[in-house]
Amino acid sequence: MMMIEQREETSKTETERRAKQSILRSFSSGEDIIAWLADRFQIDTQEARSFGSMLVALGYIYPLQDHKRLLIKPDASLYRFQTPYFWPTQQWPVEDTDYAIYLAKRNIRKKGILELHEQEQYNRLHKWMNHKWDFIVMQAKEQYRAAKERKKPDRVVFECQERAYWVVHRPPPGTVSAMDYGLERRIDPNADETKTPDFYERIMIFTQQSIMRPRVKSSVSIGALVKYCTTYNSHDPFLSKCLPSNPWLTDDVTFWTLNRLNVEVPSKMRVERWTFSFGELLSDPRGRDDFRLFLKKEFSSENLAFWESCEDLKWGTAATMREKAEQIYKTFLARGAPRWINIDGKTMEITVNGLRHPHRYVLDAAQTHIYMLMKKDKYGRYIKSPVFKDTMKKAICPEEHKFSDAQLEQNAKNRRPSLSPIILRQQELEQRAKMAANAPVDITQLCRFTTPVPHLAVYSGITDSPSLAFPAPSPACPSPISVALDSTSACERRLEADERKPEALGPVRGPVSKSRMALSLRRLLKRGCTPATMFASLSPKCHSAAGTSSRIQPISPDEPSQAPPRRIGNFFQIKVDIPPECRIYPIESEDEDEANRSASRGGVGTKEIICPWESLTPHNGTG
Amino acid sequence: MPLVNNKVGDDSTVGKDKALADGEALVDSLIKVVACYRHLASCVGSCTDSLQLRDELRQTREKAQKLAVAICHHLTSHLRNKSLPEEQRKEMELLWVAFSSSLELLHVDMCKVFKMGDIFSLADTGTLVQTGLQGGSSEVAARALSIPDLNQAQPPALPAGLESQEQSTLEQEISQIDHMIDDMEMKVNVLRWMVEPHGPQYADPLSSTDSASLALLSMDEERPGHQPLCQRSHIFVLLLLFAVVFVAATLSVCIFLFS
Repeated sequence: MMMIEQREETSKTETERRAKQSILRSFSSGEDIIAWLADRFQIDTQEARSFGSMLVALGYIYPLQDHKRLLIKPDASLYRFQTPYFWPTQQWPVEDTDYAIYLAKRNIRKKGILELHEQEQYNRLHKWMNHKWDFIVMQAKEQYRAAKERKKPDRVVFECQERAYWVVHRPPPGTVSAMDYGLERRIDPNADETKTPDFYERIMIFTQQSIMRPRVKSSVSIGALVKYCTTYNSHDPFLSKCLPSNPWLTDDVTFWTLNRLNVEVPSKMRVERWTFSFGELLSDPRGRDDFRLFLKKEFSSENLAFWESCEDLKWGTAATMREKAEQIYKTFLARGAPRWINIDGKTMEITVNGLRHPHRYVLDAAQTHIYMLMKKDKYGRYIKSPVFKDTMKKAICPEEHKFSDAQLEQNAKNRRPSLSPIILRQQELEQRAKMAANAPVDITQLCRFTTPVPHLAVYSGITDSPSLAFPAPSPACPSPISVALDSTSACERRLEADERKPEALGPVRGPVSKSRMALSLRRLLKRGCTPATMFASLSPKCHSAAGTSSRIQPISPDEPSQAPPRRIGNFFQIKVDIPPECRIYPIESEDEDEANRSASRGGVGTKEIICPWESLTPHNGTG
Repeated sequence: MPLVNNKVGDDSTVGKDKALADGEALVDSLIKVVACYRHLASCVGSCTDSLQLRDELRQTREKAQKLAVAICHHLTSHLRNKSLPEEQRKEMELLWVAFSSSLELLHVDMCKVFKMGDIFSLADTGTLVQTGLQGGSSEVAARALSIPDLNQAQPPALPAGLESQEQSTLEQEISQIDHMIDDMEMKVNVLRWMVEPHGPQYADPLSSTDSASLALLSMDEERPGHQPLCQRSHIFVLLLLFAVVFVAATLSVCIFLFS
C-alpha cells in the first residue's frame, strides 16, 4: 500500500514539475487545472476532476478560498501550488513540535483567537510537551519576526502555504484529508525482512496453526457466502442505492434521522432485515422493541428480559457484576422469582453452581438456552404475528433525493456535527432505567404454579418436606421439550389460570410477599436452589412416600420419592397431570443417585453452599 | 562571534550568573538562526530558488553550527559540574532542552534542504515550482546573520562542480550535527520530564508590532479575493448615508423657511 502510495507520489512529483513548466502563472483556476490534467493524461473530465481532488487532498495544490475543503472545484476558484518544502512526497514525519510552533505563531497573529479545534490541540500539546514549551514559544516568536522581514505579499503567501500544509496534516473537523497515518508503525510491512531463525520459526508456527484449523467443504462455505451476499445485496449501501440518499455522498442526513435507533416508524428495508435472522432482529433496537411488544402479548417477555440482563452482565463494568448477577438470580432464576424463566434442570444446576463465584460469563449457558428457545419458537411466531405485520404495513419507504450540484454545495456547507456519543449513551441509560421502572408484571407471576402462596408453610418455618410441595409449573413450564410439544396448550392453560386467579391472588399476594421478606429468604433459597440438596433433604424422610408419587412426569419417569404434604393443586379444576409435589427441574436419574449417595455419606456434615450469597451455616434441616 | 570561555568550577555567583546569561544569549541567537533557516528552507525548489538562496542557506547554516558547537561546550561543561546549585541547574536544563530541540529542528531542515537540493537542481530552472513568491529572502538571511545588510556578490553562472561539492558539504554537516546530538545525550543526562518551563502558555502578542499591519495581515489571508468587493460595498453604503443626510438637511431647511 505504501509502495503504491510512493509510486503515486513520485509520479505526482513528476506531474507537478511538468505542470509548473506549462502553467506559468503562480495560481490557476480549478477548471484550468482539470482541463490541463485531462489533456495531459488523455483522461476524461470526471477522472481529471478526481485526480485533481486527490492532488488537493494530498497537499500539492491548495485552494485560496474555502481552504478547509480539500477538493477541486471545476469553476473559477483559484488554486496555488504548494512549495516543495511542504510536499508529502518524501514522507517526512509531521512533528507535533512543528504543529505547536505553528499554533503559537497563529495565536500571536490572531491575538489569542484560535479556532476551537486549534485551541484544543494547543492545550493538549501544552500538556504533552510542557518541557519544551519555552522553546516553542520563543521559536514561534522568532519565526514570526523573521517572517516580518519579508515583503508583505511574500509573507501572505508563506502563511497560506503553511496553513494549507496544516489543514492537510491536522485536518479541522469536517475536512477530509487524504493522509492516512499508517506511517507511524514500528515495522514497515513492505520492507524486506531479514531471514533470521526467528523469522523461520514464526513462519513454521503460522503454517502449523493453519493446518490445525478446522475445515469445511468449499461448496458449503461458498454456498453460505453466496446466500449471504444475495440476501444482503439490496441492503448494502455500497452495492445498491441507499434511500433517500447516502449521507456520505450528498451530505444530507435524512437517512440517519430516519434510521435512528429508537425511531417510531422504521423503514421498509429495516423491517425486511429483521426477517433475515433472529440475530438481526435482536441486534436492531427497534426490532427488539417490536419483539418485546409481541412477547408481552404472548406473556413470555421474561425470556427477552433475561437475555438482555445477561447481555448487560457480560458487557457491564466489573464493579457492578456481583450485584447484577444477584439481581438476575433473584428476578429470573430463583424459585418463586417474579419473572421466572424456563430452563432445563441441567442448565439450571450449572448456572447456580457457577453463581457461587460469579463472573461475566456465568449465565452463558442459560442465556444460550433462552436464546435458542426464543429463536426456535417465538421468532417464527413473531414473523407471522399481527404485531409484525402491522409494523411492516406502517413502515415507510422514503423517496430518493435528487440533488443538483448547487444543492450539493449547499449541503456541504451546512454540515453539522452529530450528537455527541456521551449524550446518546445517557439517553440510552435513561431509557433503560425507564423501562426497568415500568417492568411489566409478567403474567406468569399470577400463575398458580409460581405463586408463593403454597410455600407459606416454608416461610413459616416448617423445615421439612413442604418445600417439595412446590407445585412446579410443570406441565406449563417443565422442560423445553415439553414446551415445544405442547406450548400452545400450556399457554392456554396459563391464561385460564390467570383469568380465574387474579381476584383470589390479588389480596393474598400482598401479605405473602411481605412475609416472604420477613422470613428468611435464605431458607427459601436454601430450599430452592440445588435439586441435589433437595434430594438430600428428602431422602431420609421420604423413601416411604415413594409409592405415592407415581404421577406421570412427562420427562423423567424415575422420580425419587417425595412426601406430598398437600395438594396445592386443582382449585380451579384444570385438567393437568401434575403431581402436586413434583419438582421444577426433572433430574436425570444418575444425578439423583449421586445426590442420594452423597447425602447419605455426608449426612449432617455436608455443608453445601446452596445459595451463593449466603454464608456457610450448618443446614440442620437436611438432617 | 566570540566563543565563551569555559568557566568550569567557578564558585562566585557573579560568574555563574554570567555563565547563565551567556548561555541564554547563545541559545536565543541559535533559536533565531534556526527560525530564519526554516524560512529560507521553505523557499527551496520554488520559483525564488536561486544561487543566492543557496548561498544564504549555507551562510546561515554555518552560523548555526558555530553557535551550536559553542553552546554544546558551554552547557556540557556546566551541567557536568556536580557542584552546581539547584536553581542554576534547573536553568541550565531548560537551556539544554531548548538547545536540543533547536538542534533537532535544524537537523530536520538540513535534511530537507539536502533532499530537495537533489531533486530540484538549479541548473534547470524550468522545473522550479511556481508558488507565487516574488521577493528574495535576503532580509531573512541578514536577520539570521545579524548584519544589517547582505551584500550580494555572487557570480551569476554556477560551475557544475560547485553544486555537488555543496551537497557533499551539506551531507557532512548533517552527520556532524547527528554526532553532536548523540554526544550530548551520552554526556549529560537531563530528565526532560523534570524540566518545567517558565514562560506563559500563550505567547503574548508582540508589543513592538504594528497592530494595523497585524489586522491587515489577518484580513488578507482570510479573504484574498474579496477585497475589491468589500470596498465597493462600503463606498455604496457611505453614499447612501450621505444622500439620506442631505435629504434630511434640505427638508429641515425647507420647514424652517416655510414655517
